Amino acid sequence: MNRPAILIRLRRALVVLAAIAASCCGSSPITAPRIEQAIETTFANLVHVQVGWLRMSPMDASEFRVTASCRKQLSGSDAGSGDWTCTVRWLGPDRQTLRDTFDLFVTTDGCYTATAAGESLGGPRLEMSDGSKVRNLLYAFDGCFDPT
Amino acid sequence: MTIRGCAAVVNVECVKLAAQIKARAALAVCAAGPFAFAAAMRVQSSLPEDTLFGRSVKESGFAVPLVVLGFAALWVFPLLASVVGGDVFSAEDRYGTWKMVLTRSRSRSEVFAGKVVTALAFSLLAVGVLAVSSMAAGVLLVGSQPLVNLSGVLLDPAQATTRIALAWVSILLPSLGLTATAALLSIGTRSSVVGIGVPVVVSLAMQLAALVDGPEAIRQLMISSAFGAWHGLLAEPPYYGPLIRGTAVSAAYFAICLAMAYRLLLRRDIAG
Repeated sequence: MNRPAILIRLRRALVVLAAIAASCCGSSPITAPRIEQAIETTFANLVHVQVGWLRMSPMDASEFRVTASCRKQLSGSDAGSGDWTCTVRWLGPDRQTLRDTFDLFVTTDGCYTATAAGESLGGPRLEMSDGSKVRNLLYAFDGCFDPT
Repeated sequence: MTIRGCAAVVNVECVKLAAQIKARAALAVCAAGPFAFAAAMRVQSSLPEDTLFGRSVKESGFAVPLVVLGFAALWVFPLLASVVGGDVFSAEDRYGTWKMVLTRSRSRSEVFAGKVVTALAFSLLAVGVLAVSSMAAGVLLVGSQPLVNLSGVLLDPAQATTRIALAWVSILLPSLGLTATAALLSIGTRSSVVGIGVPVVVSLAMQLAALVDGPEAIRQLMISSAFGAWHGLLAEPPYYGPLIRGTAVSAAYFAICLAMAYRLLLRRDIAG
């Protein structure tokens, strides 16, 4: 192999290595804005489903005006998998502003488990008017978002 | 190499496979396991809450195939993918039968192709049986109620069925990638223990490594990530980035491992 060919191959290898290094050392795709957007959407959709299960007047998911604010626990970093805390503000079916806190465990692939902190939101099961019990969708739920 | 020659090898390998207890046992577990799981979920109060859709297994039968899919990704799929692929070549070393196989009228390439096709077909069959059994167990034992997806949206039975089918289809190529890896190890080490065990252990190690924050590019290059790429299909709106990357990575594992395995077998000195 002649010298220019070796140099071209070397340069290509360096470009590939630099690209890998750049992608390796970038920040985590698990960020507060992504988690907040996922929680807001999922929580609003779950309230919509739960209202239907409880046979209340149907409401659109957007009517609950859910906003979330999330921060990573035990770390100065604002990105990465692990334990997060999210505060969710939303308008309840009676149009009263409600505020709930969730503990989240987020994995590196963008999936999370959210559990209400304490016994807020009525606990894991809700009693319906006929005495039967249904799972409280809002108390603990799983979701996923695109980490890319 | 001719198709007829490959088909002859496939026929012989299928007869050998059908006589093996491990192949029959694997398929029987794939067929019966989901029914046992769904039946257990019906009678017990605790739920597999650490798996996606685990909270929903009593509310909708469509959660059952997704819980099985999530659980099986850990070690069941790697085991099903390698139980035949990791043994189909090294068994000839174990029994000392390479000389007999290669002195027949079939070429070395035809023997390779026939054995690989048999291993790949078994992997597809095992995953297919597990998929159909999981779906049937969920719908028959729990019911076909709407399913709450990973964005909190209710999917009606038709939507749920389509997305679950796509989710199962998405793990076929990663499974074949592991089968190719197992075949390479089986040829390279001449050991069925390595051929079957290493893909399972490596998959487990990859999934453990993916639990901690590390370089994103490395996580995406691990074939274990492809087994979880179906999550995007159960979101609203669905996202396909992880699925496309996982499919590309699986195809790369498949092509590279098969090419290396083929070269190894062609160059191997069987005499002696």
